[in-house]
Amino acid sequence: MKTYLMFTAKAFSNQMAYRSEVWFRLLGNFVTILIQVAIWKAVIGEVDVGQVSIETMTTYSILNTLLTALLLNGISGKVDSSLKSGSISSELVKPISYPLYLLFEGLGGSVYQLVFTAVPSFLIAWLYFGIMPPASPVFLAAYVTALLMALAISFLLGYLVSLIAFWFMNHFALSWMLGGLLTIFSGSFLPLWLFPPTWEGVAKLLPFQFLGYVPASLYLGVIPAESILGVFIAGIIWIAILLLIVQWLWKKAISRLVIQGG
Amino acid sequence: MSIISVSGVTKIYRQYRRFPGIIGSVRSLFTRQYSEEIAVKDITFSIEKGEAVGYLGPNGAGKSTMIKMMTGILLPSAGEVRVLNEIPHKARKNNSQHLGVVFGQRSQLWWDLPVTDSFELHKYIYKISDESYRKNLGFCTELLSLSDFINKPVRQLSLGQRMRVEIAMALLHEPEILFLDEPTIGLDVMAKDQIRQFLRAVNQEKKTTILLTTHDMKDIEEICPRMIIVNKGSLVYDGSVAALRSKLGDERRVVIEFAQDPGSIEISGLTLIKEEGSRKTFLFTRNGTTVFDYVSRIAEKYPIEDVSIEDVDIESIIRRLYKQLAAEDEESQGRQPILVGGAN
Repeated sequence: MKTYLMFTAKAFSNQMAYRSEVWFRLLGNFVTILIQVAIWKAVIGEVDVGQVSIETMTTYSILNTLLTALLLNGISGKVDSSLKSGSISSELVKPISYPLYLLFEGLGGSVYQLVFTAVPSFLIAWLYFGIMPPASPVFLAAYVTALLMALAISFLLGYLVSLIAFWFMNHFALSWMLGGLLTIFSGSFLPLWLFPPTWEGVAKLLPFQFLGYVPASLYLGVIPAESILGVFIAGIIWIAILLLIVQWLWKKAISRLVIQGG
Repeated sequence: MSIISVSGVTKIYRQYRRFPGIIGSVRSLFTRQYSEEIAVKDITFSIEKGEAVGYLGPNGAGKSTMIKMMTGILLPSAGEVRVLNEIPHKARKNNSQHLGVVFGQRSQLWWDLPVTDSFELHKYIYKISDESYRKNLGFCTELLSLSDFINKPVRQLSLGQRMRVEIAMALLHEPEILFLDEPTIGLDVMAKDQIRQFLRAVNQEKKTTILLTTHDMKDIEEICPRMIIVNKGSLVYDGSVAALRSKLGDERRVVIEFAQDPGSIEISGLTLIKEEGSRKTFLFTRNGTTVFDYVSRIAEKYPIEDVSIEDVDIESIIRRLYKQLAAEDEESQGRQPILVGGAN
């Protein structure tokens, strides 16, 4: 365990090498939030969007923009490049579990983003746009729990895509598809409660909602208190399902590994 | 009990066929035609504890593939590999604790962090005790003179410095076996020399078993008493460097410095291969007569200033072996290994 935490620490300090990037990320987040708030102002100003206030939508947009920065979405790109360059062989000759290594290294990036991007962006957004407080301490606790689930699910989805890439030797199309599914079904831009009922039903059967809609809705208290447990159970079931698939695929992938070059 | 034993190992890669051009690339989407490429073909050998073995062969001979099978990254298509008495692919994590691996063309270091950070992480990954970490780091730092750049980020190191760091790192956990895949590729003479001396010291003092692949014959001559030569996936020679020399290196090079240019000289048994004015180089093939007979015969006719007799270097011997193999390959398709000598 200590070994893996060291990976987290090293990944964190590795990112420190590119500190100037922080300014661009802050700016990027600010612009993203600004545009979303402008859109919601325009929309809510003209039509009735089911009694949702502009404050709610602003908070929803801010929470989701910041969450996106924390998720472990870079995993498939990392596995893909180490498959292509063949450097995966250096990682496989070490007495460590490759998936855990990926997870903890990814977490290092997330912690870095949390400290240098998410928290400052949150403060800026708070001052500039205003953020609603969490619905209640219970909802705040539920929100934090949901964030951890979002980390786990985003890791597993990214890792799943990279394992499939062992067969196709390229993850681009798959990652693109995953990105598309996430944009729509996570509800990170358009909350699921604005979906037509059929599509809302579909979105709630998929794991993507845990990467946007669920955490933000818990923070805002949109999900009723009595449903929280049900949502968490669904999340845990998804984590379990993804874990099983990933475990099985990893065993298959590793025995058919082809290393390019060298 | 051998520390590494490889018996009848074959590795076949399946390569899906691609068609050229735009229409071809669309066609490639719908075809599952593939060709099988044999990277390693029925190879058998074993290595004892404490040996240093050079694994040699032209590009694409399957050297790296063999290392990857021994480290458990790749699964052989047929045959059995045993390393430390385990099947590497199954015992990958356990075995890796006792293996050191250096891939000359890839880095295991953290690109943006100082060298010491990579070392420290290595200490955690391999659960090295403080004491042996300090001891091994000291050993490597001294013999590879790492202290000048140990606090620099890896991306600022020269290739020679980086390679020394890679090798040091692979040894921090005192592996029983050290695999090196082209450790001296692209390095200058000084860096090569230092690495060779270091590897020899590691093999002799620490009794670490070493298996290295290389294209540089000097690596083998200086580090490895034994070599294994592969060509097109098959094993063609397994034995000592000296034995190969006496088998194929029955030629000597005679350089004669004449007092004045004698013009062209015709002597049967000696072939003129180089002419630089009064300095001429001949190739002599052993055939009963000694090289001194020839030289004294020449000296009777022409005044000689100086004579030197050299063995043909091992590189030329290997070149001859490859050529011979290529020629045989063209003649017959029944590629039997021509020269499997007993070890040592």
